[in-house]
Amino acid sequence: MAEVGLKLAFSLAQIAVVMGVVMLTVMFLTLAERKVLGWMQDRMGPMEVGPYGVLQPIADGLKLFFKEDIIPAGANKFLFSLAPILALVPALIGFAVVPFGPNETVELFGVQFKPFVISDINIGILYILAFTSIGAYGVILGGWASNSKYSLLGGLRSAAQVISYELNVGLAIVGVLLLAGSLSLVKIAEAQSGWFWNWYIFAPPFPQIFAFVVYVISAVAETNRVPFDLPEAESELVAGFFTEYSGMRFAFYFLAEYANMILVSCIAAALFLGGWNAPAPFLQFHGGLAHLAWLSGTFWFAVKVYFFLFLFFWLRATLPRLRYDQLMRFGWKVMLPIALGNILITSIAAYLFPR
Amino acid sequence: MRNLKTWFKTIIFYEILVGMKATLTHLLRYKPITLQYPHEKRTLPDSYRGMLCLLRYDDGTEKCVGCDLCEAACPSRVIKVVSAEVPGEPTKRYAKRYTMDMTRCLFCGLCVDACPVDALGMTREFEWAVYDKRQLLLNKEQLLAIGDRSFPVREKKLELQHPNVAFFNVAFKHMPAKEG
Repeated sequence: MAEVGLKLAFSLAQIAVVMGVVMLTVMFLTLAERKVLGWMQDRMGPMEVGPYGVLQPIADGLKLFFKEDIIPAGANKFLFSLAPILALVPALIGFAVVPFGPNETVELFGVQFKPFVISDINIGILYILAFTSIGAYGVILGGWASNSKYSLLGGLRSAAQVISYELNVGLAIVGVLLLAGSLSLVKIAEAQSGWFWNWYIFAPPFPQIFAFVVYVISAVAETNRVPFDLPEAESELVAGFFTEYSGMRFAFYFLAEYANMILVSCIAAALFLGGWNAPAPFLQFHGGLAHLAWLSGTFWFAVKVYFFLFLFFWLRATLPRLRYDQLMRFGWKVMLPIALGNILITSIAAYLFPR
Repeated sequence: MRNLKTWFKTIIFYEILVGMKATLTHLLRYKPITLQYPHEKRTLPDSYRGMLCLLRYDDGTEKCVGCDLCEAACPSRVIKVVSAEVPGEPTKRYAKRYTMDMTRCLFCGLCVDACPVDALGMTREFEWAVYDKRQLLLNKEQLLAIGDRSFPVREKKLELQHPNVAFFNVAFKHMPAKEG
């Protein structure tokens, strides 16, 4: 009985830590995005609140809390308030299976637990795919429940975008799953240990570089980021599906977008770039101390994740928004065949050269 | 061969990579070209057309004689003038009421050109954002106050006025000095 209680306590502590870190990262990602965009466009970004504007996210949060919360007269009140939650919760739930560090088992007070993954389940990647597709309902319901044409158009565009890109995400991942022989993110990341050519992006027998490119492009599209931010489309649709949202409800959508960004970056790092593994074995700096291995693991994982997050900002600073038909054509006629071909070649290669 | 090259460039997203290189160079050689506006202000050109104002003579009397020419010249009907006689001086008039609705003003400066006595001036004030539009409906006292603020040093040589133009109170500097 005491053992179950302790296990529960450890799990809750892990969840609290992960949620805290994710929320803090989200907060400061908003600042980092504005800063990086500013620097790339020869501006300064936020400068007024705190030294170099570092307190800007806190000021933004306070502002959003005290803003008037408006529900349009013709809106479906229940769905209108449910939609932002439906967008945010699936994005946060996905972090339950992401391995943030080495797959170690630690014994504390007679209970064994894994400190760097909340729950290592066999179907980790399926779980994430299932929940991220629920997130699309938040967007679509938000657009529909607002009772506004622009919101509805934004929601519809989001729906169409999700069905064309969710598929590519799933298919791009299949190659890695074929090579790894597991759906658990922990096992997949573990299988890529050693030198960086063991990472699935370069791995023999067939490098998953095409799948990686397809995955990254689809991930950008799925998180509704520039250049695929068609559901929002500020210049065409006012603000897309969250036209009618204000205050904290709007902030929920924002949090969901950024949490999704972190989640897809985590998956990309774990599946293609070796998760917590360093590029070379000698870079696992634990200084001969076994209990410091986690430091190296989380460091390399964070480096990979932040590289992807920077890539999101970088793309946003560079590219204009795609036209709607271009996006759909690119998704269905270019990326889908590439992903399918990748599966074909990978399965043949995996059959001929088993690792 | 050329087809192959373009094809290769397409599949590696060559053009996007060029663009991303450009943005990265700007990030690494970061040099902001913006001004931190409330803290730093750019120097305005001499001919800057900012807030309008009414001017005074050195002795504190208003230059405006209420002739309505500015009202006639204004394309957006910003100005309203009600003129009246100066009590006890039948030849002299002044603007009894003078209002400017700055919400409609487009700062063309035609009223300043039209004024025969140089009673109107354009200052370099531009920070006139207000919460209530009615605060931009300025009366004569406010316009004079802007003038006093913006042109603290006035023309000192009133004696250079020609007797024939004394009615308009214009300082003609090229005219001969007044006799007596």
